[in-house]
Amino acid sequence: MNPIMMLASKASESIGASTMLVSNYVFPNDLHVHWSMMIVLYPYITGLVDGAFIIAALYYLFRVESLKPVARFSLLFALAFLSCATLPLLLHLGRPERNFNMLLTPSPSSAMAGFGYIFAVSMGVLVFIILFVYRPVLVELRKTSKGPLQFIYRTITFDSTDLSPAAMALDEKIIKFLVGIGIPIAAVLHGYVGFIFGGVKANPTWSTPLMPVIFLFSACVSGISAVILAYILIRRFKGRPVDHGCIVTMVKTLTLFFILAFSFEMLEVFSHTYLKTGYHHMVEGLLNGPLAASFWLWQVKICSVIPLLLLGVMGLMKLKASVYNLLAAVVSAILLLQVIIMRWNVVIGGQLMSKSARGYTEFHPEWFDKEGILAVIVVMSIPFIILWGLSRIFPFWAGENKT
Amino acid sequence: MGLSYKMRLVILALGICIMAGSGLLLKGLLVPDSFGVYGPYRADAIAENTELPIRHGTNSSCYACHTYEAKVHKTGLHSTISCEFCHGPWADHTDGKKKIGTLPVKTNQDITTLCLRCHNTEIKARSQQVIKTVAMPGHLESQKVKLTHNCNQCHHVHAPLKYIKRARQITGLTEEKI
Repeated sequence: MNPIMMLASKASESIGASTMLVSNYVFPNDLHVHWSMMIVLYPYITGLVDGAFIIAALYYLFRVESLKPVARFSLLFALAFLSCATLPLLLHLGRPERNFNMLLTPSPSSAMAGFGYIFAVSMGVLVFIILFVYRPVLVELRKTSKGPLQFIYRTITFDSTDLSPAAMALDEKIIKFLVGIGIPIAAVLHGYVGFIFGGVKANPTWSTPLMPVIFLFSACVSGISAVILAYILIRRFKGRPVDHGCIVTMVKTLTLFFILAFSFEMLEVFSHTYLKTGYHHMVEGLLNGPLAASFWLWQVKICSVIPLLLLGVMGLMKLKASVYNLLAAVVSAILLLQVIIMRWNVVIGGQLMSKSARGYTEFHPEWFDKEGILAVIVVMSIPFIILWGLSRIFPFWAGENKT
Repeated sequence: MGLSYKMRLVILALGICIMAGSGLLLKGLLVPDSFGVYGPYRADAIAENTELPIRHGTNSSCYACHTYEAKVHKTGLHSTISCEFCHGPWADHTDGKKKIGTLPVKTNQDITTLCLRCHNTEIKARSQQVIKTVAMPGHLESQKVKLTHNCNQCHHVHAPLKYIKRARQITGLTEEKI
């Protein structure tokens, strides 16, 4: 061992093992992971929105009847998460109020300003889809409600109680139109998140045109998984039956998207490995070094191969409805974990290698940091609080399940 | 309110258009006038930055008063290193007319720490041809000096080989490795 290494190891023993974070040479401005857990949550939350919206679109645009029980719920789920999509970004900023500057003066060289506009449009479209989808229910609720709640219902039904066939036919057309433009907007919203990472030329693990595609498919996986899990849990909690046909359709859709997502994730690694492009030695060292456990073990082996096998069993074998639903919940939970680990490996993993192309650093999450574990828990619980609030105004299952 | 449902939706659509339009109007009001003159930034910011007080000087600013250090520094291997790199910003020391503060001077072990910021072999990004790097305490052992020695006990901090060259002249000894 050379003297410096001896000194360094002595120093680390005296200060504590956590000081030995760096291997080889890391530029001083690469030591710290600047885009930390809030930037992991950002693509995760927008991804959940996208997947949930796909479920709603399958029903409202393509008339996949079996998805009727969850169609409305997935719209509200998407809204609850979309309203928090920018929250992690704002928490990450040192001066969050300055985000308006970016929106006031967008420029083609600012990818983030583009996201602001796409986010605003998708928010508008989603809100109006929900208002038109829920209008018949809201009109009924308006009649029975009182006080401020009635005022809310009057406002969101455009102060009209017209449920005539002509008005309903018009609503139907508007919903189809909005969902029709909603799909490309949802795809652009999350594809754009991937593009923001893919557009960082200085980072070899991000800078690939595959990034938006990978993000988009894994977004669909996480969103659909979340709707399956939330649907099963809420129905069980409320003691109401779970619609098996609906679960089967969602699991089939999930299987398709997961095969695509996992294939593209692996394709990216394999093409890097085969092409051996400029920084391949760094990416290879990253995946087999600092990310060996979180990428190969957790993302690939535990959270991708196991669900793939389970989905295979569910698709090919005849299972009892209760077993199938239980497996659906388990697979969804694992896949939700897979997607967040994937985001972690991309966002934080990508920053663990220095621009020196010689060394790696490490990331240790803190509990009470502005972007720490506690902040993550708070940010992830806000959409559920919003969802609960929305359920007070927009009943999830009204008129669909009179059990 | 006897408006038909269709009419209400038309008003809603109009309302959205008006909101978007007023957004554009607001954008026009809030964006500074000089924005975009040269590029996607406020052109006036350039003029404002030129008004900021100067924090850093050049080596010539320091040489004007520190004539002895200037003489040594200019002749040594460190001649291209900025004074401020080790001593701190010019504006912390003088306002251009008189001395307003004392810049820190490194002593003892701090000297070694400062030197190793550049001269550490572990910093693999640096080429040996550009900067001579050493491993501690190996360098001290190979030079057969005490391990408690600081760099400046052999090397003049402004001209690192000043004493060493002089010693060679006096003793007539030559070394392959320094």
